[in-house]
Amino acid sequence: MVLTEDSNRKTYTFHVSGTHCAACAVLIEQILAEQAHIGSAKVSLSNRQVVVTGEFAGSPEEIAAELTKLVQSHGYIIGVEKSAHQAGWGDFVYAAPIALVIIAAFLVLQRAGLTSLITGSNVSYGTAFLIGLIASVSSCLAIVGGLVLSLSASSAKEGGTWRTIALFHAGRLGGFFVLGGAVGLLGNSLHLGLTANIVLGVIVALVMLVLGVNLLDVFHFTKRFQLTLPAAFSRHIARGAKRHDHLLAPVLIGIGTFFLPCGFTQSMQLYALSTGSFMTGASIMLVFALGTLPMLALLSFGSLNIAHKSWKGIFFKTAGIIVIALALLNLANALATAGIINPFVNF
Amino acid sequence: MDTKTIISLTVSVVLIGWAFWFVSAKPSADDGARASTASIIDGTQFIDIAAKGGYTPRVVVAKAGVPTILRVATNGTFDCSASLVIPKLSYQKFLNPSGIEDIAISAEEAQGTLQGLCSMGMYGFKIRFE
Repeated sequence: MVLTEDSNRKTYTFHVSGTHCAACAVLIEQILAEQAHIGSAKVSLSNRQVVVTGEFAGSPEEIAAELTKLVQSHGYIIGVEKSAHQAGWGDFVYAAPIALVIIAAFLVLQRAGLTSLITGSNVSYGTAFLIGLIASVSSCLAIVGGLVLSLSASSAKEGGTWRTIALFHAGRLGGFFVLGGAVGLLGNSLHLGLTANIVLGVIVALVMLVLGVNLLDVFHFTKRFQLTLPAAFSRHIARGAKRHDHLLAPVLIGIGTFFLPCGFTQSMQLYALSTGSFMTGASIMLVFALGTLPMLALLSFGSLNIAHKSWKGIFFKTAGIIVIALALLNLANALATAGIINPFVNF
Repeated sequence: MDTKTIISLTVSVVLIGWAFWFVSAKPSADDGARASTASIIDGTQFIDIAAKGGYTPRVVVAKAGVPTILRVATNGTFDCSASLVIPKLSYQKFLNPSGIEDIAISAEEAQGTLQGLCSMGMYGFKIRFE
């Protein structure tokens, strides 16, 4: 719709779909304003509209299609009509059974006795790698894998790129090396006490729960719970984000996984501690982290890849269901460890 | 939402429920495994539990009101079961990958049901003092 007409400068208001965060609005504004023929662009997050002023030719529909091309790669669609919220209930026909099969396979895998593959108490680099491999498909999959899946699927949904995920993995590997070395050198374990463990477990479970429900994209109310940054901060990040992605956050989250309440990681830390040297401790933790890499890389890069496929709706819903199930499992486990409830599962 | 979706969702919820039931701590199954590994030597009760990929046995029936030593044996244990938590005793320890850990339970504490867990909560064992 044309609002004002001033020689060949025109102002249009279009509807945007796919905007969730303050940073999304900033990103769209920047991409549009970069075009030579567009004078200004202003995105309003509350009513999901963008007001653009510039020299346009053609019908509003054609202009909307032209603008969509610019922002499509980030997952936004600009249209003349307000698009109704597509809950995509139909996707559940596929997503629910797929999620179920994966959850059932995960639960059965826990009873397969993979840990009996590890024999002896001397940890060679080969053993550390094997422990990493096993950790990434057993109990730690619920917490580390669940978190990686929820974060990378959410990131892919919001237009994140491979760089974000690569930075996460680099942060994780680097963090394990340096912190593993520190544990070996100081002879002091960095793992958290019981209370901190439980609190962290509950926080991770709740973050996963919110991210999981968001991935389902069925309810509107969780958007309010989403961790949104102040607009000024978002603007700052988005400036960098457009070309460099978020640099610091994924690296820090990667390093932070060292402290996640995963039994295998903590046992390896205990072993690194007993080595009493920086290099041995660092190397053993790095090799362990490398062992967990194949599974975590599959989850994260897989999510990113699928996010651009036509059946992404099914994928996000499948991931959402799995993440919610794992979040509830982690929550029940954390509460059981605190002695608040009876153990819910016993693998 | 059409009928197909509702059926699919219902079936999934039921099956996920079943999967959780499959791995859940079942009280009836616990009763079946009453093989007690508690033995009393010179007035002290000894309970042996192996920790690797879970705890065995999962249920131990022991005598109440007897000073007890819980011996947890690890053998190449790097999984969560090495990180032992007993909430009632406020006990938490990372056990060595291989070795035997003695945990003393006083006569006053040896009452009711004692629940042990790994720190992530997915493995557990129970000692029932009767």
